Amino acid sequence: MAGEEVVLKIRRFDPSLDERPRVEAFAVPLKEGMTVLDALIYVKSRLDHGLAVRFSCRMASCGSCGMKIDGRARLACETQISSLPRGAVAVEPMDNFPIVRDLVVDLERFFARHAAAMPGLVRERDPEEQESPTGEYLMAPGELESFVQFTYCIKCGLCSSSCPTASTDALFPGPQALSQAYRFLADPRDEGEERRLERVDAEHGVWRCHFAGTCSAVCPKGVDPALGIQLLKRHVMSARSPFGRKKRRGAPVFPNPNGDLLGQP
Amino acid sequence: MAGWFDPRRTNIERWAYTFQRVTGLAVLAYVVAHIGDTSFFVGGPFGEGPSRASWAAGLSVTESLLGHLVLVMVVLVVVYHGINGVRLILSEYGVIFDKPSRPDYPYRAKSLRAVQRHLIWVAIVGAILAALYSGGLLLG
Repeated sequence: MAGEEVVLKIRRFDPSLDERPRVEAFAVPLKEGMTVLDALIYVKSRLDHGLAVRFSCRMASCGSCGMKIDGRARLACETQISSLPRGAVAVEPMDNFPIVRDLVVDLERFFARHAAAMPGLVRERDPEEQESPTGEYLMAPGELESFVQFTYCIKCGLCSSSCPTASTDALFPGPQALSQAYRFLADPRDEGEERRLERVDAEHGVWRCHFAGTCSAVCPKGVDPALGIQLLKRHVMSARSPFGRKKRRGAPVFPNPNGDLLGQP
Repeated sequence: MAGWFDPRRTNIERWAYTFQRVTGLAVLAYVVAHIGDTSFFVGGPFGEGPSRASWAAGLSVTESLLGHLVLVMVVLVVVYHGINGVRLILSEYGVIFDKPSRPDYPYRAKSLRAVQRHLIWVAIVGAILAALYSGGLLLG
């Protein structure tokens, strides 16, 4: 290990200056346990201060350092160089996103689609309860299990960058937004089913997914968006069928016996 | 479009997706050609009028080694496209997946396991066997 080097072949591009992307190679001294993000930070601090790279937590929690490493979308902070094939490591920005500069992509549209999936409980029966809660919504542990894995999403964008449908249909919401739509449709506390179905059962909605499964293959948190999208299709068909499931009423509020949620009597 | 045909270093479902697209286009091309071919039976695509000669002329298009090889390829892509299509329909009904559950490290996506992945191999093996059988009939 001592004295060894790894070569990073980084795709560089500044849309305001460059006509086309170029690849630049940087030799980085290899250390045990070194991640691709560690190597990129070395490049930025020692070799080229102008390299644009986004990162924050360095422990696969924030989802900031998504990029394409050796042809596959990954988080740079959890990808150890020793886990990659020997030889130079190709580092590129994520696909399917506009490039801000070098390895930094613009996630604005991605977050807008997440917001369009209405990522919050909708209550028709008691909307004031969300503003001034008096208790908790009743939910069985089994009901929580039916959607909890989709709540682990860190919005890194790896799934949408790997999706072949997203690469060919600019209006497709992407696996992240669709799996979040299912997360709330499966939530027994939610009453926004009709509004959610209108958004996903559309021309460029859930039916554009043809189950390539790449979103789930690259997800760093085990969210499995492809599973969420297939279950979303089942939910849509069931809701639209005259023989399907009946419209659900949201879980009732269980009054807090100790007063309000701040513990005040 | 390039995204469809770049399934490197990823899961077999992505390959199945790409093949489904390619075989779909191939089946569409075959159906169009087949309608043109069989239209000789009622007089040909250019309205020459029904005759045994025009039907025989249409049939002769596939009565060659190259024509038979094309038909074997048609069997290959139709059987693959059909079986894989059934897999996709079943996946949309959510009947070939385990139930969602809390993910544990190291994360392995449930949707990329179990029955649906086996069905991809059923489609591949089924298509190869059907192509071998039809090849035996046409070329043997």
